[in-house]
Amino acid sequence: MSIFDKFENLDRRWVYLLSWLFVLFPLIYPLGLPVPINKESQQWFKAISDIPDGSTVVFSPMYGTSGMPELFPMTLATMHQLWSRDIKVIVVSFWAEGPLVFTQLLAQMDPTSYGKVYGVDWINLGYIPGSEPAMRAFGDDMAKAVAKDYIEGKNLSEFPIMQTVNSANDIDLIISIETGTPGLTEWLRQWQEPYRTPIVVGCIGVSAPGMAPFLQSGQLSALLPGLTSSAEYELLLNRKGLAIAGVDAVSMSHILVVALVVLGNIAYFVNRGKKN
Amino acid sequence: MSNVLRRIEIPIILTIIATLLQVIPYYINIPVINDTANTVNLWVLLVVAWATFIGPLSLMQVHGKAVQKRGKGWYFSVVVLAATIIMSIAGLPIAEVGLGTTNAVYQWLFTYGQTPLSGTMYGIIAFFITSAAYRAFRAKNIEATLVLVAGLAMVMYNAPVFTASWPGFRIIGQWIYDVPNMATNRAVTIGAALGAIALAVRTLMGIERGYLRGGSD
Repeated sequence: MSIFDKFENLDRRWVYLLSWLFVLFPLIYPLGLPVPINKESQQWFKAISDIPDGSTVVFSPMYGTSGMPELFPMTLATMHQLWSRDIKVIVVSFWAEGPLVFTQLLAQMDPTSYGKVYGVDWINLGYIPGSEPAMRAFGDDMAKAVAKDYIEGKNLSEFPIMQTVNSANDIDLIISIETGTPGLTEWLRQWQEPYRTPIVVGCIGVSAPGMAPFLQSGQLSALLPGLTSSAEYELLLNRKGLAIAGVDAVSMSHILVVALVVLGNIAYFVNRGKKN
Repeated sequence: MSNVLRRIEIPIILTIIATLLQVIPYYINIPVINDTANTVNLWVLLVVAWATFIGPLSLMQVHGKAVQKRGKGWYFSVVVLAATIIMSIAGLPIAEVGLGTTNAVYQWLFTYGQTPLSGTMYGIIAFFITSAAYRAFRAKNIEATLVLVAGLAMVMYNAPVFTASWPGFRIIGQWIYDVPNMATNRAVTIGAALGAIALAVRTLMGIERGYLRGGSD
């Protein structure tokens, strides 16, 4: 068997081993490969920067633990930018694991270090079951859809932040970090269209092509897809974090894919030439 | 009386009322209907919250039987049952006795059990994608060559190391993303929406009965 035969039909276990090495090596020994800043991360950064002081935003971690490797870095970075500014944040999720993901965020970021007081500058309303109808109910009347907050278990009326916020009409921006349904299309149907609430979405890379039409139509104000964009966003914030740490592995794994595909095709054409 | 309650018209009428209550406020502002729709939306929260119990019950039933029969891999079912029972008890919302999602046992299982396991399952995809790309991206004919070129262009578009070394990778990938991808996704989105409208109209008219008793009268 020639080397080209081997390259044309490489055993999948070799591919797995190479993938493992190409991802593991840069995670242990960061390579510092270049990360150019692209328009998606710039739009996201600008969308958060342009929120006027004193505004109230809904921040929604709409994903579970499986989405954390790709989405948690942008969740941390976005909350850093929000808490660095005079913006009130209402955290709410329509995914059951959303509040637990946010609890992990609180283990890594202390709002008090940003001078933020719970119940005054931000509040966590936890998970609301019911998917799309729940999103609508929450938009219509927040106090009716959520009886108590997630962290202290008190009535919403007891928190200063909720004194001026009753419905979606009082929200200036939705920030949804998501992996699927409910997600963008439900926000568009139940909040963006009836209340004209602007929305920005952070998503896993594979969801981005399906969301692109909504970005082009202007229904979506900004889209931050995947770990690479998160890394760019961290650079814009001048706060290197989990995404920068992982983006070398993204580059290396992509180099491997390209190398394997090129080698596989060279081997295929050489072998075909021999047969002919 | 029981025969009247079993009539198929009743669920159809309920479906029509529930559907109209959600559709009408979207187009016409009638306060009474708006308020009723909002109340119905709140009911949904309760219904879904109660429906959550069906999941663990069904899971216990399936895996309980697997353990009982000692079939292939029954010990995995034991792990599933143990994890479900422990997390369910630890996560019960009774803060007075230290239970709930902030409970130490619950948090430990979530942070050091569920989170890395889920992340690993997601990460495994990378191995399959690499292997699949290597096998599928072969220029065997015109169609396969198009897929190969477009696929490789998108791989390079998504990797900073390529776009940093030659900005052309970004431009080519962006064009594929903005033009062919956009056109295709719009077609899919609009097609799906038209299909959903047709299904909704059929349901409203009582023609679509797939959700009732398997569709038969």
